[in-house]
Amino acid sequence: MKNHDLIDRYFENSLSPKEQNLFNDLLQNDSDFKNEFLFQKDLKKVIAVSQQEELKSTLSHIEEHVKKKSLFMIVPKKWMVAASLLLITTLGLWSVKSLYYPSNEVIYKDYFQVDRNTIQPVVRGESLKTIEYRAFVAYEAQDYYKAINLFNSVKTPDEAYIIYYKGLCFLALEKSDEAIALLSEVATKQGLDGKSADFKEKANWYLAMAYLKNNETEKAISRLSLIINNPSSNFKKQEAQEVLGYLK
Amino acid sequence: MNQQESKNIIELLKQGDQKTLEKIYLDNREGFLNFSRKYNVDESDAIDIYQDSILILRDNAINGRIDNLQSNISTYLFAIGKYRIYHNFRVQSRLQMTNDFDLVEENLDFDVNLYGPVLTKEQQLLKKYYDELGDRCKSILNLFYYQGYNLDEIRSILNYSNKKVLKSQKSRCIKQLKDLINKHYEKS
Repeated sequence: MKNHDLIDRYFENSLSPKEQNLFNDLLQNDSDFKNEFLFQKDLKKVIAVSQQEELKSTLSHIEEHVKKKSLFMIVPKKWMVAASLLLITTLGLWSVKSLYYPSNEVIYKDYFQVDRNTIQPVVRGESLKTIEYRAFVAYEAQDYYKAINLFNSVKTPDEAYIIYYKGLCFLALEKSDEAIALLSEVATKQGLDGKSADFKEKANWYLAMAYLKNNETEKAISRLSLIINNPSSNFKKQEAQEVLGYLK
Repeated sequence: MNQQESKNIIELLKQGDQKTLEKIYLDNREGFLNFSRKYNVDESDAIDIYQDSILILRDNAINGRIDNLQSNISTYLFAIGKYRIYHNFRVQSRLQMTNDFDLVEENLDFDVNLYGPVLTKEQQLLKKYYDELGDRCKSILNLFYYQGYNLDEIRSILNYSNKKVLKSQKSRCIKQLKDLINKHYEKS
């Protein structure tokens, strides 16, 4: 296939002047040749677009990563405050433990903090207009009523992570009964994977918080024990130990 | 960064080196976002523009448009991004813009493909089937049509025993695409 070689050489930029003439000639007079050439020209353009899309998505991933990292930069400060508060309360408790136990309400206030949104980084992208995206925007803005409404209307309302964040919204609004119902659902869900795998663990912690809020100490203790005795997760393990120490 | 370094970077970009691109992206990100804040560009828009600028940078490197770049890569990247900001948001200060661009334009052909190619219906169909091709075909076609390597180079990159085998493989890949498209039209 001599003519096809000419097309290859065109794309390699290596046609000699003589070949170039032949090439031009064929392009004008040979429709098969012309179609073949146009097809490959289209292919070149299409591959460029495909490459661009691929790179754009790689960059978006990097961007998510950068955003997450910068979130972590903020966290240590909060943790410092929390840790110093803890130190004070622990020291305080140590000396007066026999005289004074913190009420469940106080423990709850000390330990409850809504979970970060780890599902839907709020960045601009194709998901911009989905209900799920808007729900997480509301969640991050602490507009929990709105978030609950939006979570109710997402495409996949039965996904564990959706139920989980909806539960957290209720908890943040101090509606612990609703929160308990939703979080229990997550904690007992079978066969979670992908996005939803971690939420089972996390749900136990927030269930404990909700039970504390409701003054159901026994139930809170059983949830905290689950967290402490789970060898495959470190989520809030230390905090669970501490809270358990107050309760027992 | 001296000129030799810029040349090395451009060479790496031509080879499609992902790590280099990621490094450029991260090294200049903060600076670019700070810059765009001055023009009250929303952060998500700024990130969009910045990412597009990286795409354009890579395209221009591969197409040989910046082989003779005098300034360094960051300056060039910023120039693309600034151009897009001015363009998108019609920032008033034209003066500042021309100042920036004198700098760039005296050195090179500042050919920025602003909005990317628009595909026809047929091309969209071709893209769909290209995206579905196996890795072997994709890498041959990509090296040849996008990265601009010639068949001899591709033979050695992909370890083919001889050029003929590679050529017939490439023809088979193209035929596969054509067959898929023909089938698509037969169905409809």
